[in-house]
Amino acid sequence: MSNSIDEDLLRRIIKEVISESSNVDKPISFGEGQASTSVATADDDRSTLSHAVSEEKLDWFKHVGVAKPGFSQDEVVIGVAPAFAEVLTSNMRGIPHKDILRQLIAGIEEEGLKARVVKIYRTSDVSFCGAEADKLSGSGIAIAIQSKGTTIIHQKDQEPLSNLELFPQAPVLTLDTYRAIGKNAAEYAKNMSPTPVPTVNDQMARVAYQAISALMHIKETKQVVQGKPAEEIEVNFD
Amino acid sequence: MKRQKRFEELEKRPIHEDGFVKEWPDEGLIAMMGPNDPKPSIKIENGVVTELDSKKRDDFDLIDMYIATYGIDLKNAEKVMAMDSIKIANMLVDPNVSRKEVINVTLALTPAKAEEVISKLNFGEMIMASQKMRPRRTPATQAHVTNIRDNPVLIAADAADAAERGFPEQETTTAVARYAPLNAIALLVGSQTGRPGVLTQCSVEEALELNMGMKGFTGYAETISVYGTDQVFTDGDDTPWSKGFLASCYASRGLKMRFTSGSGSEAMMGNTEGKSMLYLEARCIFITKASGVQGLQNGGVSCIGIPGAVPSGIRSVMGENLLCMMMDIECASGNDQAFSHSDMRRTERLLGQFIAGTDYVSSGYSSTPNYDNTFAGSNTDAMDYDDYYIMERDLMINGGIHPVDEATIIKVRNKAAKAVQAVFEELGLPKITDEEVEAATYANTSKDMPDRNMVEDMKAAEDLLNRGVTAVDIVKALYESGFKDIATEVLNLQKQKVCGDFLQTSAIFDKDWNVISAVNNPNDYQGPGTGYRLDEDPEEWERIKDVPFALDPGHMKF
Amino acid sequence: MSEIDDLVARVAQQLQSQSGTATSGATATTHATSGKGLGASDYPLYKKHPELVKSPSGQSLDDITIDNVLSGKVGSKDLRITSDTLQYQGEIADHAGRSAIQRNMARAAELTAIPDDRLLEMYGALRPYRSSKQDLLDISDELATKYHATICSGWFKEAAQYYEKNKKLKGDN
Repeated sequence: MSNSIDEDLLRRIIKEVISESSNVDKPISFGEGQASTSVATADDDRSTLSHAVSEEKLDWFKHVGVAKPGFSQDEVVIGVAPAFAEVLTSNMRGIPHKDILRQLIAGIEEEGLKARVVKIYRTSDVSFCGAEADKLSGSGIAIAIQSKGTTIIHQKDQEPLSNLELFPQAPVLTLDTYRAIGKNAAEYAKNMSPTPVPTVNDQMARVAYQAISALMHIKETKQVVQGKPAEEIEVNFD
Repeated sequence: MKRQKRFEELEKRPIHEDGFVKEWPDEGLIAMMGPNDPKPSIKIENGVVTELDSKKRDDFDLIDMYIATYGIDLKNAEKVMAMDSIKIANMLVDPNVSRKEVINVTLALTPAKAEEVISKLNFGEMIMASQKMRPRRTPATQAHVTNIRDNPVLIAADAADAAERGFPEQETTTAVARYAPLNAIALLVGSQTGRPGVLTQCSVEEALELNMGMKGFTGYAETISVYGTDQVFTDGDDTPWSKGFLASCYASRGLKMRFTSGSGSEAMMGNTEGKSMLYLEARCIFITKASGVQGLQNGGVSCIGIPGAVPSGIRSVMGENLLCMMMDIECASGNDQAFSHSDMRRTERLLGQFIAGTDYVSSGYSSTPNYDNTFAGSNTDAMDYDDYYIMERDLMINGGIHPVDEATIIKVRNKAAKAVQAVFEELGLPKITDEEVEAATYANTSKDMPDRNMVEDMKAAEDLLNRGVTAVDIVKALYESGFKDIATEVLNLQKQKVCGDFLQTSAIFDKDWNVISAVNNPNDYQGPGTGYRLDEDPEEWERIKDVPFALDPGHMKF
Repeated sequence: MSEIDDLVARVAQQLQSQSGTATSGATATTHATSGKGLGASDYPLYKKHPELVKSPSGQSLDDITIDNVLSGKVGSKDLRITSDTLQYQGEIADHAGRSAIQRNMARAAELTAIPDDRLLEMYGALRPYRSSKQDLLDISDELATKYHATICSGWFKEAAQYYEKNKKLKGDN
């Protein structure tokens, strides 16, 4: 799959996000002082970081009301952060949110459990997303994921900032990792003790991605709605 | 357009892989003196602060309230706030003005005024000022000791290795949180094997971290994070009052602790209120002061990529270290995160703190190759040891560590691995094999280690906490398995917790458990001929001079 | 040598000025120092005033030996700082110009009496959105009445007041 994004593409994505100005390649003009243009359209600019934007309506990602606590032992709740899928569409490596969700769910189902997706609004913090989602989960196990890709497996009785497994380095996460995360979460829900998904350490990832990571998180945080309960999401990958 | 060939070549240089961003004040992407930073001000009525940095008391958030209540020397405040910031900046740099005189002024600043003072200094002046203002006279540095498999045998060996090289403080964390007690114990045993008197910590979730300190597995804590905006503080799952209480909890158990903050964390966590990084960091420093915490780890820390991405950001980070020292707080000055793809820029990052000397130049230096650094990599790692030694030797600077010969390191790694093997055996933890001991002795990274059954280890770790095992059990385990010397040192650490001397500012221990802190080793720098000088510390200078790979002209074989 | 002489003289003086309390075995509530307080020259206590430092059960530093650990005479409960020692360290910090540290140590001194588990719970209760105003006030009362921790009691009261105003109480998120 899109396991290995090529580096040039990657760099382009970063540059586009970081410098909101257009980065299109245009021939140099040797004439006198050209007015540098690239005017961002003011209001309906969905790429803005200065305020919340409306959520895009998606066929595969449907809101079906306020999420309720589940009672079924065999479910794992996936809590996605406020900008997920409907405002931002892929993680900081450019992996589409749809593919990520598909793999997380596949991992859970592989273990014979059900996945339930909820969208969190109260917070953009991955730990607190996890802490809210696990209270909705019948098994008490939740996966939380931010739009930038950072993921956590959280259990109901843990302190919010603790975790069963944390994957803080989104740039090194592949679709295979996401699937493994789903699988492990399901095993925790079955009271098993899975071997943690192996940690990949790329100390340079932070250097290259910290700025873009901050920008994506700022955008996500703008979507936070204080006091708004999580919403149940119906996903459909067909 | 048609590419110019030199530009094309330059684009391939490592520096181009770093992330840079243009300033953007509304989201806090500006180093200091942003357009939305408040104007410095204070109003005090009947001993109560009614206005702080242009904000009225009714509008105070929890951070303002906390700083106004506990963080400012009110009796001097109005006088100091009326002083010209340039004059205060001058006092910082002027060697004729003593540290004490400066402190009397700086403790009465407000966060916005403090930011303004720092903004008047260029980078060279910040180095000058830090040399004078760091609380402890003798500089030091701190190590990270981790590996991505959370292998406890390797942690013990690496801890001993790092201790031998001179790190007086060592910090570990986990790849998987549930490993925490095993990592903490391995670090404790390994470090005391290498050099008695080393202090160790294990960075995990706040409540668990305190719990491990109470059990005696750690001697201090550092990653008690504070933030400069109310929303981010809440996302950090604390308030100033809960953090202040936590600080007292640590002290009540005889544990040293420092807070952690750093430029960029608020931007990273999505809420800056449009304020500059240095202003928000100033608030963190004042929260630390207000809490009566002896120390602070700051200087970008894990978010260094954010100040590093904007203009004047690395200067600002040096400024935040300096501001910490101006508040008379121990400063563990960052340099602890992978920062740049460019070796030249990595050195640039280190330069200010290295030349000035701080309480801990790095917080921490990765004592393993960055491959194994579960803090996501440090600015300098084990592969930089020889470069670092030569920098110290070239410039005659005590950067906190010194060269050690290979045979000594092999011996001490082996002893630490065996000691932790014995402790595991005695405490009924999963077996450490002789093969693992051998591998840890000679290993460079966890790739050199046989796999352990991680599930079994984690179960044992949980069980260990439930069983109520404490440092006393470790002392017994060491003693009964023949490691009497290490048992004594682990007990000595517990004794120091009874005594509390190392709760004072900037405290570390030498190998004989003599405490060295800002109380009995206060920085007395006042220009040439004063302060810490490596030539007046001949023992350390000899060690630094004596790099094993220097030619010895007296014993050449031609 | 003169250093040692100084030390001996100081220790002697200290002992005289505190006769009674320093020798009567440490109890958690009495403070051995008279008005003057300890200063930088009394530091470190480990070297300069070992006689002032006791374990919670009244043992001296010299009693903390491997043999006593092995025989069970010294347990983990003895390897703890006392409220008296925290007061001394607070005085030393204040004397060195760090009154904020002294205030923290004064709070800490009060907390030495609280069992680990309860202390962790109290910390948890102060974290955002964990407690109602009444929960915090109840802990404030508990601190005052059960543990005589007046400063910390005030701390919780203050938090209750400001958490209400700044919306950090249970249900505010």
